[in-house]
Amino acid sequence: MNTTARAGRTAALLLSPTFLVLALVVGYPLLAALRESLHRSGDELDESGFIVSGDRFVGLDNYADAVGAARFWTAFANTTVFTLVTVAIEVVLGTAMAVVMHRAMRGRGLVRASILVPWAIPTAVSGLLWRWIFQADGVANTLLGTDLLWTSDGWPAKIAVIVADSWKTAPFVGLLVLAGLQLIPNDVYEAARLDGASAWQQFRRVTLPLVKPALLVAVLFRLLDALRMFDLPFVLVGPQKGAVETLSMLAWNEANQVRYGPAAAYSVILFLYVVVIAFVFVKLLGADLLGERRARRRSEVSA
Amino acid sequence: MTASTASTASAASTALTEDPPRARGRRGRAGRAALTTLTWVVAVLFVFPLVWMVLTSFKQEADAYTDPPRLFFTPTLDQFARVLDRGFLPYLGNSAFVTVLSTLFVLLLGVPAAYALSLAPVRGTSNALGFFLSTKMLPIVAAIIPLYVIAQNVQLLDNVWALVVLYTAMNLPLAIWMMRSFFLEVPKEVIEAGQMDGARLPTLLLRVVLPVVAPGIAATALICVIFSWTEFFYAVNLTSARAGSVPVFLVGFITSEGLYWAQLSAAALLASLPVVIVGWIAQNYLVRGLSMGAVK
Repeated sequence: MNTTARAGRTAALLLSPTFLVLALVVGYPLLAALRESLHRSGDELDESGFIVSGDRFVGLDNYADAVGAARFWTAFANTTVFTLVTVAIEVVLGTAMAVVMHRAMRGRGLVRASILVPWAIPTAVSGLLWRWIFQADGVANTLLGTDLLWTSDGWPAKIAVIVADSWKTAPFVGLLVLAGLQLIPNDVYEAARLDGASAWQQFRRVTLPLVKPALLVAVLFRLLDALRMFDLPFVLVGPQKGAVETLSMLAWNEANQVRYGPAAAYSVILFLYVVVIAFVFVKLLGADLLGERRARRRSEVSA
Repeated sequence: MTASTASTASAASTALTEDPPRARGRRGRAGRAALTTLTWVVAVLFVFPLVWMVLTSFKQEADAYTDPPRLFFTPTLDQFARVLDRGFLPYLGNSAFVTVLSTLFVLLLGVPAAYALSLAPVRGTSNALGFFLSTKMLPIVAAIIPLYVIAQNVQLLDNVWALVVLYTAMNLPLAIWMMRSFFLEVPKEVIEAGQMDGARLPTLLLRVVLPVVAPGIAATALICVIFSWTEFFYAVNLTSARAGSVPVFLVGFITSEGLYWAQLSAAALLASLPVVIVGWIAQNYLVRGLSMGAVK
């Protein structure tokens, strides 16, 4: 149809600047990382005892070494666990926050502003704040009556990271869902109330379906960020701690020891992992996420 | 206001109003009270670390360490004075510059892009969305070295513009995805009515579409502001004394002479204050939802 073709042209025109910026700033580093991951740098001795310096092409050796290392699999498991647990907590907390922020009540302005603050503090600082709370003679142990070393290693360190990350990032989900809530007209709720729907029913049947698109976008982007988690465990617990080392931290650690090839290999593996997760997520929830269902409904209305 | 906006309003409310769910019982009141209580408990737990930080920022360093922690003390502004003495303001200026400009660029590039992707059905929409998403998949750790080399080559090391460009690229994907999901909520009739009135694309976007999704745009802008304000990894690797942002200042502070909790709390408080103010302002737009925006 003619209008479709015109819409397509308009779309291409509106999109091209964005494509350009992203391809430049994001595309090049990806290609560079791929290239780097197939090389190894530094001075090494070859078979005949000569010193070889500079980059050497090693094929997939970096990847093979990575997958063969126990440390990699620990980091892989940490990354996965942190992602699943923190995102789940953040969705529940964030949605609850949004509902609270949305409700007309006394002190709403104060509640809204204070809920955003944890997210507004740079991670480097909130990591320290939590390290302080979790230190041996800190507030956490005092309140819980425990004597745990939260920030050294083991499962307390994992919990500390999960608590701090949920605290920090739930407001992000909350804000996105709140924006979705604001788009729901009041008369929808009035109609539901006239029909005698309870608060819970209103939430289940009216609110949740209508904020689902915003919520799913929030979850998707949280997944991507959580899988690449770096600075919070780094500041809160520190590098080279098996309990909290994520794939990003592992890559950083390698790069820090001037092993750029293996670092790039870890990064590319993480990249692929993120790609797979995002792909599965979009495939499973694609209709809601991409708005196909809504687009269909709208065309029915106009037909 | 013109007649077209009035028709827009009615179209908006009819299209979005769905059949209300059938309801059975009503035991709302007790449940609501319980919910409110729970809300406040969670909120208090949530805010506790912040309150603690604020309290500590008004303490002397000696009072910050006591065991058990001291609730009552003589408040002092010394810590804030010390933070300012260490040259906090230039960093604040850099952060403000980078945050405002990158957010502006994100909106300038992102609003048209998101609108284009909401014009269903256009072929390749999901490919484009997938591409934008994919730019958020590479770990920053891997990107930093190539980006450092580029910045060096174009002489943007320790330059605020490097951060402006990077933060724009960093926030664009999320902004596009978010704003697209809001644009999809705009009833087709609204756009068609605008087109019928002969509105051209920029007018259509500014006058017809944006007012309806104002809360969504406000939320997007707020998110971009917060991400830019708190970004650390790019900033610490690509800038130093001249173009450093607030997080760079905060961290420099920590490493130079050990941990001074009261001082750090004061610095963190000062660093997050601008975001709270912006959040407060954005809030006014956040509540101006579809119901109000379309009727007015």
